[in-house]
Amino acid sequence: MIIQVCIGSACHLKGSYKVIQTLKGLIEAEGLEDQVILKSSFCLGACSGAVSIQVDENPVEPLHPEEVIRFFENRVKGVTQREIHRV
Amino acid sequence: MGKTETYIDVAIHALNKKGEELCGDQADLFKSEDEVFFVMADGLGSGVKANILATLTVKIAMTMLRHGESLEETIDTIMQTLPVCSVRKVAYSTFCMVHLKNDGRCRLIEYHNPPVFFCSNGRITPYISTYETYGDKEVRISELELGIGDYLTIVSDGAVHAGVGTMLNHGWEWPHIAAFLNRQQPKSAELISKTLIETCNNLYGGLPGDDTSVATLMLVEPKVTRLFSGPPVQREQDHEVAARFVQGSVKRVVCGGTAANLMARELNRELRCEMDYYEPSIPPIAHIKGIDLVTEGVLTLKRVSERLEDYAAGQIISFGKPDAATLLLNLLINDSTHIEFWIGKAINPAHQNPDFPFELSIKQNILDRIIATLRKIGKIVMIQYV
Repeated sequence: MIIQVCIGSACHLKGSYKVIQTLKGLIEAEGLEDQVILKSSFCLGACSGAVSIQVDENPVEPLHPEEVIRFFENRVKGVTQREIHRV
Repeated sequence: MGKTETYIDVAIHALNKKGEELCGDQADLFKSEDEVFFVMADGLGSGVKANILATLTVKIAMTMLRHGESLEETIDTIMQTLPVCSVRKVAYSTFCMVHLKNDGRCRLIEYHNPPVFFCSNGRITPYISTYETYGDKEVRISELELGIGDYLTIVSDGAVHAGVGTMLNHGWEWPHIAAFLNRQQPKSAELISKTLIETCNNLYGGLPGDDTSVATLMLVEPKVTRLFSGPPVQREQDHEVAARFVQGSVKRVVCGGTAANLMARELNRELRCEMDYYEPSIPPIAHIKGIDLVTEGVLTLKRVSERLEDYAAGQIISFGKPDAATLLLNLLINDSTHIEFWIGKAINPAHQNPDFPFELSIKQNILDRIIATLRKIGKIVMIQYV
């Protein structure tokens, strides 16, 4: 799974730094470094929402810094574990 | 890029004597396309009185020399004009005047200042002078020839007295400073002046016992930096602008996420963003092959603008951190003589968001301030809108 976080001007002001640091911490804590690649990206072209992120090739979506933990639980942890089970 | 093949790089720094709000040393610079006039003066005493003496000396000398008045006339005017100190009953200020041309020819006029450090081929070198008397003032006059990489460092006596009686018995004497300069491998005038003034400040333990000034004038080869910010108004021009941008031997900078995405797309190169924040308030840099520096736009530029203004006001700024703004500042101050701005006038949708700070929504204003400050510190700036 590749998660891209926008660090363009608008997203930076809305908390890219916090989103990246939180995600980094969670990925490390759960030992998912091999399965989740966290990347930063310049403008993803959706500047009006919260911090723009993109998971794999899915559409760009907004992620509020306060909701990173919930996002991680629902969309990262569960999914990667399911992938492991499949293997 | 014009016909001139050399460039005069100048950096001036000063420390005020502890407890003084005004500096008793003054320096002034006039720079045209092919020559530089520089004057430094150290007024008798310290504080307001010294400041007035030095300011008068510098302003008179600069105005008269620039307009081709004779040395005799200039020195006479200074002596007639300076107010006489009520304590010491003399009107006195030391001075040093430099007239340096782009071809390396230089005339040096010194009066009671610590002798100028002349670095030729990497060594501080003695120079031959004649002494002429104007009224009762004996003035030292020297004709020098500078090559590429040679420089002159002018200091006030605060530098040669640094640490006197505290860290050092006799201060940081002239031969010590010369030896210190011989050990440097200077890349720019700023790096020499900055290292020197910081060392003086350390020798004074952060409490300068005298006003201290350092100025360096260095003859360098032109170093061109080309900075691209903001996409072109016409999307159809993207490709042509990107293709032109990578031509020629210049340092290249792209400021702005959209501009960086555009460059990567049009040049068909990968854009790789870093994740490491060296400074949480500034987005990390990115990489595109063939481009020396890729940064976010308006936040980085805002920081660059602020710190550049501090620098122009004489503050010593650090180039230690590898965040985007510091990297760009270092490139502009220490590694560029000429800077080409390629400014795209397309409207950025990110900046149209009502939550976006108003002052940042007008990137053009920030660029204008950067350009004005770069010109103020003597860089040659060209602008083209794309």
